[in-house]
Amino acid sequence: MTPTPPPSTVVRQRGALRLAALLAAGIGALAWLGRSSDPAAQPLTAGPLTLGAAIAFTGNANLYGQDQRMGLAVAERWAQQAGPPARPVRVLLEDGASDEASAIAAFNLLIRQGVIALIGPTLSQQAFAADPIAQRLGVPVVAPSNTAKGIPEIGHFISRVSAQSSVIAPLSLDEALRRDPGIRRVAVFYAQDDAYSTAEVAIFEKALAARRLTPVTVQRTQLADNDFQTPITAALQLRPQLLVLSVQAVAGGNLIRQLRELGYRGQIVVGNGLNTPNIYPICQRWCDGILIAQAYSPELNTPINRRFQQLFRQAHGDRPPPQITAQAFTSYQVLFEAIQRLQRKGGLTGVTLGQARTRLMAELLRGRYDTPLGPIGFTPKGEVLQDRFYVAEVRMAPGGRDGRFALVRERTLQEAKP
Amino acid sequence: MIDNGLLVQMLIGALLGLSVYLPLAAGQLSLATPAFYAVGGTLAALLSTRWSALGATAAGTLPLGSLVLELLLGGLLAGLLALLVGRLVLRLQGIYLAIATIALVEILRVAILNLPFTGGAVGIFGIPQPFATAAGYVLPALALLALAGWWCQRLEGMPLGRAMAAIRDDELAARCMGIDTTNVKLSAFVLSAVLAGSTGALAAHFLNTWNARQGSFDVSITTLAFVVLGGSRSWLGPVVGGLLLTALPELLRPVGDVRLVLFGLVILLGPVLAPQGLITPALLARLGRWGEEKER
Repeated sequence: MTPTPPPSTVVRQRGALRLAALLAAGIGALAWLGRSSDPAAQPLTAGPLTLGAAIAFTGNANLYGQDQRMGLAVAERWAQQAGPPARPVRVLLEDGASDEASAIAAFNLLIRQGVIALIGPTLSQQAFAADPIAQRLGVPVVAPSNTAKGIPEIGHFISRVSAQSSVIAPLSLDEALRRDPGIRRVAVFYAQDDAYSTAEVAIFEKALAARRLTPVTVQRTQLADNDFQTPITAALQLRPQLLVLSVQAVAGGNLIRQLRELGYRGQIVVGNGLNTPNIYPICQRWCDGILIAQAYSPELNTPINRRFQQLFRQAHGDRPPPQITAQAFTSYQVLFEAIQRLQRKGGLTGVTLGQARTRLMAELLRGRYDTPLGPIGFTPKGEVLQDRFYVAEVRMAPGGRDGRFALVRERTLQEAKP
Repeated sequence: MIDNGLLVQMLIGALLGLSVYLPLAAGQLSLATPAFYAVGGTLAALLSTRWSALGATAAGTLPLGSLVLELLLGGLLAGLLALLVGRLVLRLQGIYLAIATIALVEILRVAILNLPFTGGAVGIFGIPQPFATAAGYVLPALALLALAGWWCQRLEGMPLGRAMAAIRDDELAARCMGIDTTNVKLSAFVLSAVLAGSTGALAAHFLNTWNARQGSFDVSITTLAFVVLGGSRSWLGPVVGGLLLTALPELLRPVGDVRLVLFGLVILLGPVLAPQGLITPALLARLGRWGEEKER
């Protein structure tokens, strides 16, 4: 026998059912209203074309996102001051945050607003989530800062201007070995819960092996670590002659400082995560002398880089722009130039937005570009072809508060080799 | 405007909210939902990218039947895991249980990060798609939510549901009444895990990629916020909370950089202004009686 439920329960359950029905109707209405939202089939309107940029303004990648925002703003000013363009271009910025779901939402939002191409997202992990959406809808993507393996392979609409770490990272090792050919004992540090670090450290280890060096120790740290006494002590007991660090900026600054404070005097080679002036206030005078390979050098003396520097300094005071800002500038520049070429050829008249996106992608990959990074182009897959890379040494000012990446060597590679 | 992609994220939020609600309905504050979510997601990501029998093509598509199979397997594996660890951790109560479940989330996160076949920190990417657009995911997510909602609604009239309510109100009294409290709590824990596991399997396909970050402590707190804002006295509370709190940061985009500040304010003011959550028993009773007065 089942007991009869008290009337209040029956009433409540009826209320719950009614509310559930209401919710279901609401969700149904939202699904109906939000369907097929990509305006690709509409004819391309006259007037300025829109580039959508989904970059991280919030979350743990926002340090990079802020640098990228500066790069895009400088690029817009560069385009305005270069004279009237064949086709004006404007940028729509959206916060792609630092997680996968937000990047997907930002991409969907921008695509629905009818952008002709997308710039972003900031992190490679986000790219693996959001890029397939752009690929399926046929929207060109230029990644300004995704360095992981496999990004252009997501599809033919996906490209990047940020060279893979595999191309850049080994160059700084060569410089360290040139300075001290007797190096035999190498210690490696990396953050094991970080996608960038784990990918880059594999490249460093491969490059070390190719130079007949076996690390005497590989110390794993965590992304959020700031105290490295234990791994440093463990590593220094093995008397390394060279340290290779692949960690993010804040952790890396602390790690270098603690290494020096605990008595390490040898050379330090760092990865792309420390490729930002934001490390100077953290490791201060202890930053001095670290070696880093870069895809961009503020000291490159070309007309476009001088112009970029000039515009950057006008807006942000007398300091050199970071690499990630230069790469964001470049992502805008390649799209802008491809659009102008396409417009002059008449490729943007009498087409739908979807067709214009396809044509822009083809035009983008065909072109060669003279950028602040140096001359670049793309492989048919969308991988950047950059042949000039730089090895820099951090030189701190006497006060130890500020410094610069001093160019010590410029390297030319014929093409991006793994 | 809410597009289908955001709607799917909202539905996933509602499902995770329900998964936190189920143990809470038996008075158990478990934060283990992201652990089971991660198990389901990792399993689906691995199966669909490595196991060719599921029929994933080189073009990146997947038959619908394989998705259903993954949902079942994801739920099953998460449920089994819950059955194993549940007996141990459910001896703890209140804040101690919460801490033990946080530990479970961390252990699974570190395990997924370090296992040789889960792709490390980058994770698994290029997960094949059963649908061409985000709109396709609305139906399975809605179906899963409808099934879970129907089950929760039925639960309130079933002996298990009443036993859960009795334990929530007073565990000692419930035990004295002859209720097998251990098994009831375990059942609620396993149901919650099955739901989270299936949701993870669906989310892995929707997100195109899966990594250890998906099942982190942050997700524990977010999903708990769904229940706190929505209300923990009816299954509709976490559903409404999950839908609203997932949509809110996206709907606030027009206000620009302060959108997360406003989002934080909502989370702060929600429990202050509505301590029992948005969906209270009183509200449901009012809704249930609505129209009756006129009839009389």
